[in-house]
Amino acid sequence: MMDLAIRDIRRDLGRFVLTAAGLGMLMSVVLAMTGIYNGMVVDATVLPDTYGGDLWVVQRDTQGPFAESSRVPSLLVDRIRAVPGVERTRGYMTLSVQQQLPDGETLRFTLAGLSWPDDLGNNLPLEQGRALRQPHYELVVDNALGLPLGTALLLGRDQYTVVGITSGMVSSSGDPLVFASVSDALRIQNDLANEALRLERESRVSRVKRSPYGRDPANLARAGTQGTLPATAPPPVTAVLVDVAPGHDVQKVKASLSQWSDISVYTIDEERELLVKGVIDRARRQIGLFRILLVVISAIVMGLIVYTMTVDKMLSLSLLKLLGAKRRVILRLILEESLLLGLFAYLVALLIGEVAFDMFPRRVLVHDMDRLALLAVVAGISVAAGLVGLRKALSANPNEVLAS
Amino acid sequence: MNERLGKVVLHVEGLSKVYGEGPTRLEALKPTTFNAMAGEVVAILGPSGSGKSTLLTIAGLINPPTAGSLTLNGKLAIKDGQPVANLSTLRRQELGYVFQRSNLIPFLNGEENVRLALEIDGVSHRESRERARTLLDSLGMGGRMKAMPSKLSGGEQQRVAIARAMIHQPSVVLADEPTAALDSSRGRQVMELFRDSAHEHGAAVLVVTHDHRTLDLVDRVLEMEDGVLAEKDVAARTA
Ligand SMILES: Nc1ncnc2c1ncn2[C@@H]1O[C@H](COP(=O)(O)OP(=O)(O)O)[C@@H](O)[C@H]1O
Ligand SMILES: [Mg+2]
Repeated sequence: MMDLAIRDIRRDLGRFVLTAAGLGMLMSVVLAMTGIYNGMVVDATVLPDTYGGDLWVVQRDTQGPFAESSRVPSLLVDRIRAVPGVERTRGYMTLSVQQQLPDGETLRFTLAGLSWPDDLGNNLPLEQGRALRQPHYELVVDNALGLPLGTALLLGRDQYTVVGITSGMVSSSGDPLVFASVSDALRIQNDLANEALRLERESRVSRVKRSPYGRDPANLARAGTQGTLPATAPPPVTAVLVDVAPGHDVQKVKASLSQWSDISVYTIDEERELLVKGVIDRARRQIGLFRILLVVISAIVMGLIVYTMTVDKMLSLSLLKLLGAKRRVILRLILEESLLLGLFAYLVALLIGEVAFDMFPRRVLVHDMDRLALLAVVAGISVAAGLVGLRKALSANPNEVLAS
Repeated sequence: MNERLGKVVLHVEGLSKVYGEGPTRLEALKPTTFNAMAGEVVAILGPSGSGKSTLLTIAGLINPPTAGSLTLNGKLAIKDGQPVANLSTLRRQELGYVFQRSNLIPFLNGEENVRLALEIDGVSHRESRERARTLLDSLGMGGRMKAMPSKLSGGEQQRVAIARAMIHQPSVVLADEPTAALDSSRGRQVMELFRDSAHEHGAAVLVVTHDHRTLDLVDRVLEMEDGVLAEKDVAARTA
């Protein structure tokens, strides 16, 4: 039996290609949603994955650095190091920074501290340059910031130099990461806070100046001093990361630390879980639902297209029946066209994915399994759409040939 | 086939068709009995609305009759108005159709349209191509058989349709006004094709026509009037 589907498609190839391309675009959005979903999960756990640490020690009754703010004294780093079974401790802190560059562009990133000298950032995925070599004034930045090696950056009151460039390092909110030593990060935090205070003070003074009170110099002086509280205690960090010595049980160390009154202790897996099931949970479910919606829409659109394609050739189908064609012939014609349309659309979706997904601002991560799953979904949709068309096709009446 | 020649290939007995009920009831075909023999061309004349198409579609197993029986090439297809065989298979193997127009599948070229009649019955590509080419050649379509139907003239389309109706050597070919869309010389050519094919392939050809000038090419003439089919006097043909 000659292949009727191919011949029907060939007669109006332009229309078929356009239809398939349109469907392909729709499906590329399904693929993008999957990739964004995966990327989001990976991005969310970049920080715990990069830092490692068997246990994360945070402020009592908080859930840790990703879920809510936590402050523990810097001294805790040394106190925990003395606990039996602990091999290494590191201070951990992050800080959101928004910095105006001289050329007017705004640089937004998350500054993460590396605990000098225990952690120089040697396990960061370096693309260029090196990890930290000095305890101060060096930065490792992510390539998403677009800063070349050697760039000098004024953060707070000090100038820092980019010595290394990573790839794919983002915070759970998608901001690129910049790594500095914890002490630098704390200083920058302090300086930026002071900067904010200074700006606030200046605006207050200028307000007073503009008001009738401004004529009195005493008022002006008072306006300028209020609200400035110099930091006195050593600045706190967000968490302490604990590596358990080989041969020691993580749960036991956790249990003994948990008895301390001022801290809560989580394993790294619990932190990851908190991130994925907690922090990004809504965004994750949102994308998941949107993806389901898109699949349903694709199915409906494809069903309509196949139905229309069938209606367009009712006369040919009637003629086939008139000639005594078996049901199988008609079944194959409709299903084959539907599957070819789906397959072509699928290939278009893959192509768009290859070309376009790298240009997305955030990570779009499509696994081979996702591609396979989409292929299965497309095949399912094609068959379902084909059945819709087939219902119509089998209703073709040989009499129609005569009526026309 | 030539061994069929002279045998009754279509036997119709008491066949009738009633459309509608109550006030719209219309007996389009009154109980009709007739035979058609392999190798003969039977012309059916009659005014519009007299029931010619109704008869052809019932004989073609497209339309169910209200009553009566029908035998195709010795196979009982309809008894007492009910199908008693696989009509689709009979259509595929025993029947060929030609209509006024819109008869070809638009996405198949001429040769493919002809091959289709063979391939839906399981004939191989190679054989169907061979046979379609030979037949189209003999119909003077050798150079045009790769053209799509939309690129063929009305006469060319009808020749392809006739080739498709004949290629599987059916016992009965039904043609409903096949020359209506053609000028008279093309119409005559088509009737000649029916005559030659009927003789060569041993098919009975029932052809509805209005063109009295081609009646010299047919073996018998039947006349339909108000659903009643009657044999027309042979002498009247030439009158
Ligand atoms: N499907 C139908 N339903 C109702 N009446 C029909 C139908 N088909 C044909 N008729 C009627 O049956 C009569 C015969 O029609 P038809 O066989 O087409 O005549 P002809 O082909 O000789 O012009 C006409 O009066 C027509 O209106
Ligand atoms: Mg008619």
